Amino acid sequence: MSETTAAPQAPVSTQTRPLLEVRGLSVAYGAIEAIRDITFSVQAGQIVSLIGSNGAGKTTTLRTISGLLRPKAGEILFEGRPIHTQPAHAILGMGVAHCPEGRRLFPRMTVEENLLLGAYTRSDDGVAEDMERVYELFPVLGERRQNKAGLFSGGEQQMLAIGRAMMSRPRLLMLDEPSMGLSPIMTQRIFDTIRNLRDLGTTVLLVEQNALAALAQSDYGYVVDLGRTTLEGSGHELLADQRVRDAYLGES
Amino acid sequence: MATLLQQIVNGLIFGGLIAMVALGYTMVYGIIQLINFAHGEIFMTGAFGGLAVYTWLLPAEAQKIWYVALPAMMVGGAIVSLVVALLMERLAYRPLRNAPRLAPLITALGVSVFLQELTRIVYPGANSAVPFPNVFSAAPVHIGSITIPSSGLLMLVVSVVLSVVLQTYVNRSRMGRAMRATAQDPDTSRLMGINPDRVIVLTFGIGAVLAGIGGVLYGTYINNVDPYIGFQNGLFAFAAAVLGGIGSIRGAVIGAFVIGLIKNIADIYLPGGTAYDYVWIFILLIAVLVFRPQGLFGEVERVRA
Amino acid sequence: MKTAMARPLSAIGSVVLIIGALLPWATFVLNDGPYPDKATLEFFDAPFGLSSFRLYLEILGLAGIVFTFVPVRDKIRVLKSIGWGAAGISVVNLLFIAGDGGGLGAITAADGVPAFGSIVAVVGSAVLLFGAYQLPPEPLTVIDSKLPWWAEWLILLAAFVALLFLITETLTAGGHSGVSDPYIGPLFLSYLSAVGALLGVLHAFGVTEWISDMSERHRVFSIVVLVLCAVAVPFTSVGNDYWMTITANIGVYAATAIGLNIVVGLAGLLDLGYVAFMGIGAFVAANLSGAVAAEFHIQLPFIVAAIASGIVAGVFGAVVGSPTLRVRGDYLAIVTLAFGEIFVRVSQNNIGGLTGGSNAIPNIPDLSLFGAQFNDAPTIGGLQLPGGVLYYFLIVLLVALVMFVFGNLKNSRIGRAWIAIREDEDVARAMGVKTGKLKILAFMTGATLAGLAGAVFAHKLATASYDSFQFNQSVTLLAAVILGGMGTIPGAVLGAALLFVLPEELRQFKDYRLLFFGLALVVIMRFRPQGLIADRHRRAELADEDTTGESLDDTAIKEPVAVAAKEAGA
Repeated sequence: MSETTAAPQAPVSTQTRPLLEVRGLSVAYGAIEAIRDITFSVQAGQIVSLIGSNGAGKTTTLRTISGLLRPKAGEILFEGRPIHTQPAHAILGMGVAHCPEGRRLFPRMTVEENLLLGAYTRSDDGVAEDMERVYELFPVLGERRQNKAGLFSGGEQQMLAIGRAMMSRPRLLMLDEPSMGLSPIMTQRIFDTIRNLRDLGTTVLLVEQNALAALAQSDYGYVVDLGRTTLEGSGHELLADQRVRDAYLGES
Repeated sequence: MATLLQQIVNGLIFGGLIAMVALGYTMVYGIIQLINFAHGEIFMTGAFGGLAVYTWLLPAEAQKIWYVALPAMMVGGAIVSLVVALLMERLAYRPLRNAPRLAPLITALGVSVFLQELTRIVYPGANSAVPFPNVFSAAPVHIGSITIPSSGLLMLVVSVVLSVVLQTYVNRSRMGRAMRATAQDPDTSRLMGINPDRVIVLTFGIGAVLAGIGGVLYGTYINNVDPYIGFQNGLFAFAAAVLGGIGSIRGAVIGAFVIGLIKNIADIYLPGGTAYDYVWIFILLIAVLVFRPQGLFGEVERVRA
Repeated sequence: MKTAMARPLSAIGSVVLIIGALLPWATFVLNDGPYPDKATLEFFDAPFGLSSFRLYLEILGLAGIVFTFVPVRDKIRVLKSIGWGAAGISVVNLLFIAGDGGGLGAITAADGVPAFGSIVAVVGSAVLLFGAYQLPPEPLTVIDSKLPWWAEWLILLAAFVALLFLITETLTAGGHSGVSDPYIGPLFLSYLSAVGALLGVLHAFGVTEWISDMSERHRVFSIVVLVLCAVAVPFTSVGNDYWMTITANIGVYAATAIGLNIVVGLAGLLDLGYVAFMGIGAFVAANLSGAVAAEFHIQLPFIVAAIASGIVAGVFGAVVGSPTLRVRGDYLAIVTLAFGEIFVRVSQNNIGGLTGGSNAIPNIPDLSLFGAQFNDAPTIGGLQLPGGVLYYFLIVLLVALVMFVFGNLKNSRIGRAWIAIREDEDVARAMGVKTGKLKILAFMTGATLAGLAGAVFAHKLATASYDSFQFNQSVTLLAAVILGGMGTIPGAVLGAALLFVLPEELRQFKDYRLLFFGLALVVIMRFRPQGLIADRHRRAELADEDTTGESLDDTAIKEPVAVAAKEAGA
């Protein structure tokens, strides 16, 4: 466990080159800086979470990684290649999928069409196969594949959103608040699914306000506050840290 | 009774024409929420493009054979419309993608005036109406006391066929899916790997091709064109798109037929006759905008009213 | 590193510019105009000239050299203004000579006569501009000194007199009273470019801003001086029948444009059928004027008829504005467009015999005051005034009234509420602004002013015809508001003046008038959406975008705000 500094090279661990590296990233909306000089990295095969309060800049970070926003400063490396200059639609093709906050399904399209859109950039034959895999993972989707996505419950919509993101066969899956608005049971199911995906080889970058649940599942975590990473460590270390407990786990 | 039936037939023919223009309005609005005022002018340039092909490219023998001349003119008109529309998108609208909403609308007005004037100045003789050859001069069809001009029938058939093809394309194909996705949620579409610029260009392109073909068919039906045909017919087409629920393909087609029928029935049965038919259509347009802005088939959530 | 190149480049550019001005410009002699003595050929072919466009270029070139080496604040804006002015002059004359002289030969060398002046000047201004753009951008200079009131009055007086002089010179730059001088187009455009460069330099020095601050401090004084200046126009070099008519027309359209500015510029409601209200005013006035063709054969005093026109137009404004309760944004624009089209159709068809249809309502009686017919040329104290001068005065009065209404509204509670609606209607409503009432009020006020203008218009023209109130007129008015600058009075006046004077001065290009309008709308929206004279409020917004908007793509500008709000607020 270490406290991150503002220095761009904050060696997190000495493993192999991380899958995703974010260095000194700053993003501004007009004159307002939403994130300043944020630095973190995601090792392949892990679940890494960014936790922090509202307005800390977590969503902005994910939107910048996926190319919806442009950074003011800093760089983002995916598999060693800079991606922060690429448009959003190209970044997906490189292997980064982003499951946005609030699911953002296409409500007037069917489950199947939503999944097909997830596989939009693919032209291989595996699409139908992958679609079946999503249906296996979430049978409720398979049963109602011709129904409009807007008619589903929150938990089912989250499943579909994850399934849709998986359809591009990403190497890095970014999930923004997957537990938002879900019942505890459903939240548990979603986190089980995320672990399952990690075990199948997908790296996961998770943004959560539900710090307890997120850290418990994560291999590594960062605390983001006022647009910076302030603490980092393995999920268990952070869970045990008094400052984290005070600030985010509602203990005092 | 015979008059009424005749007016209904005329209305359907006019509706078929309006539908081909209305589709462009509705699709562009669906994707980027822009009322592309200049779309009527795309239709107009298509008509002139077809006329230019006939006048300067077709040899005299080919001009007489309708199944050579007409397809050639339709292709020529479609290409001219396509090129104009893509230039317009690239040079005028794309730089304004993030501008306040009034800016692209005013730009569209500017493009509309510019294209009218450019055509008037550049096309020989376009200072006044230019005669358009009646390429498709098969004998009119008579059913009872009703007469259906062959070029009108052609316009109706082509319009319906193209609408069905378009609807199928948008509902079934991969790019069609991308278009619908972009219309529903542009940001999330980008996360799906959809390049919004490509979708927008495709949308403008499809609209332009339909309008260009419509322009050529209009010419063969009315037998003269001028640089201002786009404005008036464009307004009707826009009214049709709004009536049907802007953003909806089916709505635009049905709206177009409703407009066509109202116009032709108003000519005979509403007070004022032909002099006031436009007035009735605009009153209908205002009423729809005020009382049912989502139109007949539009979905409420999309409407920004 | 870039900045280091700026000085040599702009200096070289300026020198080349002067050389260009001194060279011959045309290889041929065009002396076939109806006024050979006025259309002198030295104007183009003689080298070393010290008049007209050559003079402007020489001055600009000298200024370029001086400002390159003299330390001034905001050097980039100064040199940019000079460069663009010079480029304008050079390109206009190059195109004119090439066009009139039958191609490239006219501006290069033909029949053993070399004439590279225009090309050299174009190159010079390009180099100068290139150098200027290497300089770092600077914030706009602000002169923040307050003088005693009498000194400020004197400065304002001087500024307005200078403005009056500039305006009359601009009007007559292409010759007096519209005789068909074949060089009127390039002469006028050259002059306009030079004036533009001058104003640009003054703007860069903060002078224009300083004066406008001063006039803001002394509003009443400024208005009085401005009105006096306007009243003085007929006594200057443009004091003839021709210019009285033109300036009166400009005045009517300027008044209408200011009215439209309330609707579009302040309240942010796009009105595409605005000229219809002017039409309604014109027809009401025509019908109450006792014209033979009118439906009612009554003749009311003009002032009563004008008020009636304003009221009727205002009522229609409220009716057309009422959909704003339910319809927003571009849908509203379509409602107004549809209304405008209905108006044109209905008046074309002479509905109820009120509009005269395609025959119009002709022979609307001339106004008279104390026995003086408005179209006659009055004599005051032995001084012969041009014909139509009384109409001119009436219209000055109208413009002053409309400006007064606009200025007071803008700085009132209502005006602030309108601006709030323009910026964000939902927020405005949440803050307790009665958006519905206020939007209708905006339409009503705008329509009333247009109705008044229409009444004057009908009497001035002596005719009211549906043809004057077509869609194109609405577009032109809108273009005037946008070109001048949305939400500002000088903007609307400048816009109206440019859009209605330019066609007069450029009659040889009249055919291309609408083409240029269309193109101008597109170009302005692309490069200067705030217009020539920007509203302060808006300028602040746009300046903010300048610093951050550069690399954000697509939805990145609208969306982040929402996200930021969400992240900050939730």
